[in-house]
Amino acid sequence: MNEGKRIRVLIAKPGLDGHDRGAKVLALGLRDEGMETIYTGLRQTPEKIVQSAIQEDVDVVGLSCLSGAHKYLFPRVIELLKEKKAKDVLVIGGGIISPEDIPFLKEKGVSEIFGPGTSIKEIAEYIRQNVKAR
Amino acid sequence: MSQDIEKIKQKRKEWEEKVLKPALDRFWLKESPTKFYTPADVEGFDFLTDVGFPGEYPFTANTYPTSPYIPAPRRGLPGASGLVRAATYSGYGTAEDTRDYYMEMQKRGQKRGPNLAFDLPTQCGYDSDNPLVRGEIGKTGVAVDTLRDFEVIYEPFQGDLELDNIASNFTINGPCNIIVSMYFALAEKRGIPLDKLRATPQNDILKEFIARGTYIFPPRHSMRMFRDSLVFFAKHCPHVNITSVGGYHIRGAGATREQDLAFSMAILIAYLQEGVKTGLDVDSFAPRFSVNAFGGSMEFFKEIAFQRAARRMWAKILREKFGAKNERSMLLRQPAGAHMGYENCTVQRPLNNLTRSVVGAIASTLSGGLPIPMPPYDEPLGLGWSLEASQLSEDAFKILYYEANLNEVIDPLAGSYYVEHLTDEIEEAAWKELDKIEAMGGAVAAIESGYMQREIAKSAYERQRRIESGEDLVVGVNCFVGENELEVQTTRLVPHPYDPTKRERAEDRQIRNLTEVKKNRDNRAVAQLLKELKGKAEKEADNLIPHFIECAKAYVSEQEMCDVLREAFGEYQPATI
Repeated sequence: MNEGKRIRVLIAKPGLDGHDRGAKVLALGLRDEGMETIYTGLRQTPEKIVQSAIQEDVDVVGLSCLSGAHKYLFPRVIELLKEKKAKDVLVIGGGIISPEDIPFLKEKGVSEIFGPGTSIKEIAEYIRQNVKAR
Repeated sequence: MSQDIEKIKQKRKEWEEKVLKPALDRFWLKESPTKFYTPADVEGFDFLTDVGFPGEYPFTANTYPTSPYIPAPRRGLPGASGLVRAATYSGYGTAEDTRDYYMEMQKRGQKRGPNLAFDLPTQCGYDSDNPLVRGEIGKTGVAVDTLRDFEVIYEPFQGDLELDNIASNFTINGPCNIIVSMYFALAEKRGIPLDKLRATPQNDILKEFIARGTYIFPPRHSMRMFRDSLVFFAKHCPHVNITSVGGYHIRGAGATREQDLAFSMAILIAYLQEGVKTGLDVDSFAPRFSVNAFGGSMEFFKEIAFQRAARRMWAKILREKFGAKNERSMLLRQPAGAHMGYENCTVQRPLNNLTRSVVGAIASTLSGGLPIPMPPYDEPLGLGWSLEASQLSEDAFKILYYEANLNEVIDPLAGSYYVEHLTDEIEEAAWKELDKIEAMGGAVAAIESGYMQREIAKSAYERQRRIESGEDLVVGVNCFVGENELEVQTTRLVPHPYDPTKRERAEDRQIRNLTEVKKNRDNRAVAQLLKELKGKAEKEADNLIPHFIECAKAYVSEQEMCDVLREAFGEYQPATI
């Protein structure tokens, strides 16, 4: 990270899940933590999310899914990021993710999963420490 | 009376000075951590006007004169004589998987109709073979693409459990009329007249724009779909509820108690207006409006007052704003009452959710409902995870009902200075917000402008801010998490009721099912029906349901119908917030 450059975060809702309280709260919260945040809105395909991530030149993509489709959708976003040579983007996830699925998602390249009850500060701190220098 | 009030006010001043203040001083407190209410806080309270008898206007005490759900002792599950109800929310994978699940439940004694959960592609108007919805098939519920899927799901519902003997619930909103038409088509094919069917579709589309998110068409076109169902059901299906409005979704999305009440009422008003606009007498359809579950939070007394305020407000809206004459129109009909609020479940130490849900269940009973502890404690660990959790909820219900005898009295807090004060306060705040929305042009306009969405997001963020600052405490999450605390975890011994291997392969199997249907149906008839649908959709006055039924019988798929409507109506583009 260059000194003084604000971290840019894309909060995205992949798939059809319509529960975006967490996504909106996090978008507002990370903004108050000094980051620039963009929220995609509902029903984004992995393709659209990756396109927005590249267009907006973000450092972080936060994926939120409560429908159980994360095992397909999260890895697909990472795959497409790699295809577009944007593999330095830090990808984190949240929602209703059963503990059994977390090792699988990490193996596919999701950096960390933040479940319900996580504080915004904790996520902000994680992002600051893990976002890659570009 | 007023003299008494003056005396009480005077006495209160003395008490504050002589008794309260020294006590506070002793603990170095600037203000009292507790409140105390007196008749002075409910000045002008009039029992007959403000509360009334149960089952009578303004229904503050209760919707019905007595609890309508009288469980038969020792026969197990609560069932009401004369009331046919659907089973608990269920459904997963393909139609076959869900059929097999119901067969299994019937072996265990279930005699109720299905309460169907649909997967998100079905809820959003997409077919299982659409590449855009990969990964979602059969996940949050069962996949329904064509009538064929309904035929399979309802195989176990024949004979004693034929469609005219059971009630079905459908959690469907955007494409409600299409899915319900598939059910009507199934009934007609089985020779069962529509006026014998009992069903409750959720059909609460406006709330989808501000919470839950399974909208398809823009609000105004969605309202036309709503109008079609209202008019069709009122005319042909006297036992089908028109809508099951869900205030708790709005709360779950972050709304405050007052926003929840005001937004829900604004939405209900918009639905009523659709019926009135067609020239129907409000009393001919309002009795078929129902409410899914209003409210929901851990604030015990406030949730009790909320339920009382909601009943009174609804009754006033019907009588005063809509001129309803029939008291049945004024009933806020809901199967469940107060509850803890699903969003207050914690993934941390999940068994604590059972304690929380019991608190909600007691609030439910004290406010006129049944002591239903909902949701099961494992809700935050993933939908419908274990039968153990459901069993614990059902047992907690029975303990509260049979051992604690909670339901032997109706509205036991009526006349409590505190609860009456709270009831007034909540209702007043909701009216204020409702007036604001009406001034904007009503619920549809307030959704189109993004007002409701923005306000809810603001409230959600405010709640998060309070949790992070410690103003609001959540046990095991932002407090009592020290190293000396024992992190109680649950072990799930009973296998998941939904077969995990079937779940894993549901997507491929459902795509094969649909391919088969599309190959074997009369595709020329399908094309013709879709062409006719386009023409009808473009005529605002046309009721599309009869045509949806014809389409369903020809195995036209859900998305094929929705795509025609997408072309005619457009798709909803969310307001930026």
